Amino acid sequence: MKPEALPYFAGIDLGSTMTKVVIIDEAGNICARVESHTGAEHRHLANRVMEQALKQADLLFDKITYVVATGYGRINVPFADRQMTELTCHARGVANLFPSVRTALDIGGQDAKGLKIKDGKLVDFVMNDKCAAGTGRFLEVIADTLGLRLEELGEISAKSKNRVKISNTCTVFAQQEITLRLSEGALLEDIIAGLHEAIASRAVGMLRRLKIEADVVFTGGVALNAGVVRAVKENLGLEVLVPEDPLISGALGAAFLGRELVRKALAEGKPLQRSKRRLSEATFFK
Amino acid sequence: MAEEKKKRTINRLKTMYPLRALVDGMYEKAVEASQAGKPVAWCMVNWWGGDVILRTMDVAAIYPEDYGAVCAAFGAAPDYLSRSDSDGFPTHMCGYARNCLGYAAKMQDLGEIPPRAPMKGMPKPTLLLGSGYFCDTRYKWFQALGRYMDAPLWVLEMPHPGVKESRQDGARARDINLLVAELRNFVAFVEKLLGKKMDWDRLGELVDDAIEMNRAWHEVNELRKAEPCPMHSRDFWSSMPASLYMAADPKVTAGLYRNMYDEVKSMAASRTGAIAEEKYRLAFAELPPWHSLGFFNQLAERGWNFVTESWAYHPPRPIDLSNISDPLERIANLTYQYFSGYFEDAFESKDWWGYFAHPYVEMVREYQCDGIVLHPLLTCRTATNHLMVVQDQLMKRLKVPSLIIEGDIVDLNLFDPMDALRKAETFEETMNHFRKVRADEGLLW
Amino acid sequence: MTEAGLSRAREIYQDRSRRARELRAEGKKVIGYLDIFPVLEMLTAMDLYPYRLLGDINEPVTKADACLPPVVCPFLRSVLDLGLKGRYDFLDGVAMAHGCEVGEKMAHIWQIYLNPTYAYYLDTPHTTHEAALKHHTELLRGFQSSLESFTGEKLSAERLEKAIKLHNKQRALVLELYNLRKPDPPLISGAETLQVMVSLMSLPAAEGNELLEQVINEVKQRKDGPAKQPARLLVWGSVMDNAALVEMIESTGANVVMDDTSTGSRAYFPTVEITADPLEGLAERYLAGLNSPRTFRETVLGESNRKDYMTDLENRFAYLRDYAAEWNVNGVILQALRYCDIHGYEVPGIKDYLDSIGLPCIYLEHDYSRAVLEQLRTRVQAFLEIIG
Repeated sequence: MKPEALPYFAGIDLGSTMTKVVIIDEAGNICARVESHTGAEHRHLANRVMEQALKQADLLFDKITYVVATGYGRINVPFADRQMTELTCHARGVANLFPSVRTALDIGGQDAKGLKIKDGKLVDFVMNDKCAAGTGRFLEVIADTLGLRLEELGEISAKSKNRVKISNTCTVFAQQEITLRLSEGALLEDIIAGLHEAIASRAVGMLRRLKIEADVVFTGGVALNAGVVRAVKENLGLEVLVPEDPLISGALGAAFLGRELVRKALAEGKPLQRSKRRLSEATFFK
Repeated sequence: MAEEKKKRTINRLKTMYPLRALVDGMYEKAVEASQAGKPVAWCMVNWWGGDVILRTMDVAAIYPEDYGAVCAAFGAAPDYLSRSDSDGFPTHMCGYARNCLGYAAKMQDLGEIPPRAPMKGMPKPTLLLGSGYFCDTRYKWFQALGRYMDAPLWVLEMPHPGVKESRQDGARARDINLLVAELRNFVAFVEKLLGKKMDWDRLGELVDDAIEMNRAWHEVNELRKAEPCPMHSRDFWSSMPASLYMAADPKVTAGLYRNMYDEVKSMAASRTGAIAEEKYRLAFAELPPWHSLGFFNQLAERGWNFVTESWAYHPPRPIDLSNISDPLERIANLTYQYFSGYFEDAFESKDWWGYFAHPYVEMVREYQCDGIVLHPLLTCRTATNHLMVVQDQLMKRLKVPSLIIEGDIVDLNLFDPMDALRKAETFEETMNHFRKVRADEGLLW
Repeated sequence: MTEAGLSRAREIYQDRSRRARELRAEGKKVIGYLDIFPVLEMLTAMDLYPYRLLGDINEPVTKADACLPPVVCPFLRSVLDLGLKGRYDFLDGVAMAHGCEVGEKMAHIWQIYLNPTYAYYLDTPHTTHEAALKHHTELLRGFQSSLESFTGEKLSAERLEKAIKLHNKQRALVLELYNLRKPDPPLISGAETLQVMVSLMSLPAAEGNELLEQVINEVKQRKDGPAKQPARLLVWGSVMDNAALVEMIESTGANVVMDDTSTGSRAYFPTVEITADPLEGLAERYLAGLNSPRTFRETVLGESNRKDYMTDLENRFAYLRDYAAEWNVNGVILQALRYCDIHGYEVPGIKDYLDSIGLPCIYLEHDYSRAVLEQLRTRVQAFLEIIG
């Protein structure tokens, strides 16, 4: 590594629903950010999304000093120099966006996470990756049942005056319960509000396993839903900060962690292990 | 009209109501005692030994496992459960324990009984009494409460032998000795804690009352062998807690059971059943769905009379204690008899699960049941572990079929009465079938 | 049988019952035991070879469904399932004890469904009350009498002492082996250690001692030991009868240098004191000596007879601080099987304790299946990233 070359760091978050790439420079400015649907073939996708990001940043791959991969598919990124869990990476990313954060709630498409952050670092966490009921999946299934798009839900629920209580914690039974309520004449906005309350109370219940301290940040794909954000605030009894782009905190954190690792290695005079792979398709699954 | 008809589906015994009221009053009495500066104990069911000691020493005892059922029935459990979850207690564990842990956490936060706690709540205890029969939760739960309160915990050892092992030379004496030693040590523990001495004469009286209470209660249940059965399980479950939880002066309770005996005896004499038309005689194991007992009314309309149930709640089979004079030895023998009363039968039948499981073979035979309803509970392993063996043994030995209906002790959504009723209809055909099978095999009923 | 040391341990771990079947064919009697409360010395002294009943994580449970509901310890269900499938048909009998609630019930279920020639159930008390310890000695007399009827022989004090010395020797050798995990990096991995332990549970004591001596010699001299990792972990919790979890943890980037489970230090560290009446020393060790959460240890009362929570925790868990210091542990994995109540109730308390001594920990709940272990990998990795 030539000392006079300007270092860039890339973070790639291969989630089950979305793949995100962020490139930052030495100063920590974001030079590129790309979000793309993961689909089934995430092994091939990682390369393509990386290429898109490089194009956006107007860089060649060999200018990237260090790549950190995270997310569900992180072991399928052969050009990554290091893979780290989404827990560590999201914590770092959120801390970068909101330096005052102590607690973060991340609700994604398939799982929900609670993060305890101190001085920008992850110090404790809880995860729910077994049960769909506290995750984006819950919303997706119900939205589908009702013939609505996910993006519409927040707005619809804002009209609610008389929230319906959804007592079933299991997605399958909740679907049945909602159909029943509709047939009884319940208003759509009240049902959606009830749905948001159900997911929020479950997520906050999980979060309470950590010692909740302000500032609290709510991130992940579900944080785009204003209705859920409202419900989370209510359940917490605290103000909640939401990033402008809740999807990139993982990739952003990964990039910053890469920068940290490189700086640490330089400071300690230790060589940093890098991936020998070039940016090409994974060859082991042709 | 329809309401009235529903009310009469099961003939509720008049003498049941005062017994039930005794238990309902337990919580209020404890709160009053606490407010008056008197000692309060949170106890696991300890099968009378611990209870008589506490009562003699003027300690108000309440039972968090009963309170769990109360909270579930009043809809207060979810709040306490979610607190226990967030404090890190795994969710598969006993619902009553988790309910109590959450309750205790909130009580610690607030420095007082949580508002909206059902039945006036449970006041902060002076001591905790764990016990040793059947489940690990009986002491692990109370040990975990140390997180939220500084009440010291005593765990009463209770010998738990196997059927064969209990018949070895000297085994019984050894086991009774342990019970007695443990009770004596518990007395010393309470004396030290409260700074007062045990009144051994008064203890002797209470022990005699507890023995009489159990005897009277046993006699009531013997009358249920009559056909038609004059007393439904619903009345058993309402009347049982007064003895199992020694909610009041056992002398008073004994009197109420004797009154019940008279009522049931006269019904048996006039061949009056607990339900209009007894088509089927059923047993039930183990803990009933406390919050949905109306379900049994619907079964009663179909002619299902529940004539026996919940072995663990039953009083001990009779035992002659006349040549034992020491009160602790007397009560220890009664406790041990409760646990091992069916061991001799189990040994003869070579049925090695002598408590919980084998008793149903005897009970079903003695009460001439056509079927048994088994109620597995998601968070009570103890009440669920043996049910498959029960199902098996009843079929193998007596050709009596089982109906399985699932539920939980605190998650009330898990019990589906509609589904259960549907299954009931089919089960009637099964019971009819096995009646014929039993007849063919020369089994008595 | 040309294998020795670690490769022999690996061989036995993969085919546990082979030696037992061989010895049975030679006329030796094999008694299966469950958990760590049946007194092994009494079996060994009567020339009965104690063989620990374990499950098989690779065998889906099918037959046990008919006797035990699904909401119980998956390890015990697996043990029962193997029994019902005939995998324990080489046993001459079983000795079980009141380890935990479902373990106690296993004793009855096993008798009902498997009808063993010999079966004994030891009702181990739950506290270390003086009365309970005395009672335990008397219980062992009952066990002795049952063994004497079964074998037609007398269990003399001499025979018993000899057996105690043999088993104590094994415990000393296990400690010696565990000491080889203290260096950085440890000379033997957690997975390898577990393979050795499982082998000990599958061999007669004398052969187990021989194996241990081979392993210790080999490990002391090896050049191919585990690589150094920044994380040195202690694994606490439910019975671990297979290396899958430890392998997952170690492959994520840690050295598992110590354990506190019934297939490791918990079972093998406490020794037996030889007393005039040997049953007394055995009763003491197998109740008070064994440090298991199923045994209720006295509430520690402070002044004014009130219980002090932190002092109580110290009373119960201080040995973990000592292990951490001696084995230079910087993180603790609390693992428990789903439906394990004994360990489940401990979790918040043990977390509070570890927090108070500044030792990071993480709780993993699993269900005795490989699939769940993979899901846990992210949590383990995140934990390592936190402490790293």
